[in-house]
Amino acid sequence: MSSTAKRGLWMGVGALLLVVLGWWGWQRFRPYAFHGTVLQSAEPAPDFTLMSADGPVSLSDFRGKIVLLYFGYTFCPDVCPTTLFEVQRTMELLGEDADEVQLIMISVDPLRDTPERLKEYVQYFHPSFIGVTGSDEEIAQVATQYGIYYQKHEGTPATGYLVDHTATITVIDREGYVKLIFPYGTPAEDMAADLEYLIKH
Amino acid sequence: MNAYRWVVRGVYGFFGTLILAVVVFKVFQPVQVLPRVRLGPGFILVDQNGEPLTNEDLRGKVVLYSFFYTRCPDDCYGIVPTLQYVQAQAPAIMGDIPFRIVLISLDPEYDTPERLRAYAERVGAQPGLWLLATQPDPQRLRMLIGSGFNMYYEPQDDGSVRFAPRYVLIDGWGIVRGEYKYETLASTEERIVRHLGVLAEEIRNSQGSAKLAYEAAHFFLCYAP
Repeated sequence: MSSTAKRGLWMGVGALLLVVLGWWGWQRFRPYAFHGTVLQSAEPAPDFTLMSADGPVSLSDFRGKIVLLYFGYTFCPDVCPTTLFEVQRTMELLGEDADEVQLIMISVDPLRDTPERLKEYVQYFHPSFIGVTGSDEEIAQVATQYGIYYQKHEGTPATGYLVDHTATITVIDREGYVKLIFPYGTPAEDMAADLEYLIKH
Repeated sequence: MNAYRWVVRGVYGFFGTLILAVVVFKVFQPVQVLPRVRLGPGFILVDQNGEPLTNEDLRGKVVLYSFFYTRCPDDCYGIVPTLQYVQAQAPAIMGDIPFRIVLISLDPEYDTPERLRAYAERVGAQPGLWLLATQPDPQRLRMLIGSGFNMYYEPQDDGSVRFAPRYVLIDGWGIVRGEYKYETLASTEERIVRHLGVLAEEIRNSQGSAKLAYEAAHFFLCYAP
């Protein structure tokens, strides 16, 4: 081989090495792009204590876990079951890491949702899910702080009244800060990827 | 040996470019973002037309919130001129991005929709842009202002309300992007207008490839310009 050809070969190898290294570096060090909307909260998520069928539940009980807050109600015709089903799938996708994640559903219909009814409802989706409720005042307080709008309106005699409500999922990280928001309709795959990242980092 | 040198040069070149890129990024700060501070509150209010106004109605719109009451003396601690200034600047900055100014009354017993409407006319509030509203239930209002906006106010016996002027900028996601409590070197109105510009830029660029730049910028640069 002539020296020019050799040099060409080396340069080719060098260039290839750089491309591989660059690609690896980009993959390794690029910031993870979350599917959900990311917050940089300066203060911890507002704490609350509400009632579950197994006693009072506070947000602060779950420091060290990733908490998914969802506001809904058990008479909810479509939006809530769809969302909870999607979270159920997310838990399946997470496998063993699902232990690091806790879903809490807060009732926006404290009149009809008893703690027992809520427990039965959420555990239909996943045995680890918790459902909580409280007085009108307590619910209003938590909903206000988490940007949740809810209002009763007329349904049919068959359904009873319905409750319009904000259908986002709020993700609270291990340290108790609001980290992400998942809009209604976020696929389980996207939620699982984001939660996996939060669990690993 | 010669080829080896080329490889070394290449590696140097690669890392040199990388470091240069970081430095350039730091110095020129090509992407500016407002931090996503926290969740804005959820609420149901009644506006100057007697219509309900909820945070969900304002989803997808950039909203500047402030607080007042119609019996507030003069220009209400500078709130009115500040919002008039924002109103004048907004069309050029926001373009076709939906934008609202929501002025919440801290005196729900006195401030009926009629009085709110009269006040809006008096201060030259552009209909459709300004929403003057309040929560008729004083306890719910206290909850919203106190727990939702983290603001303190105190109704006095003479019908006045004690509070410090406050502005809160919330994006279309319902996330707080700016809070303005006290005068700094730059006046509040100038800061608000500048931040509106940054937010508008972010929204305009949030489709397509620039989205990643804005998303990524949140991770290592978190500053308000």
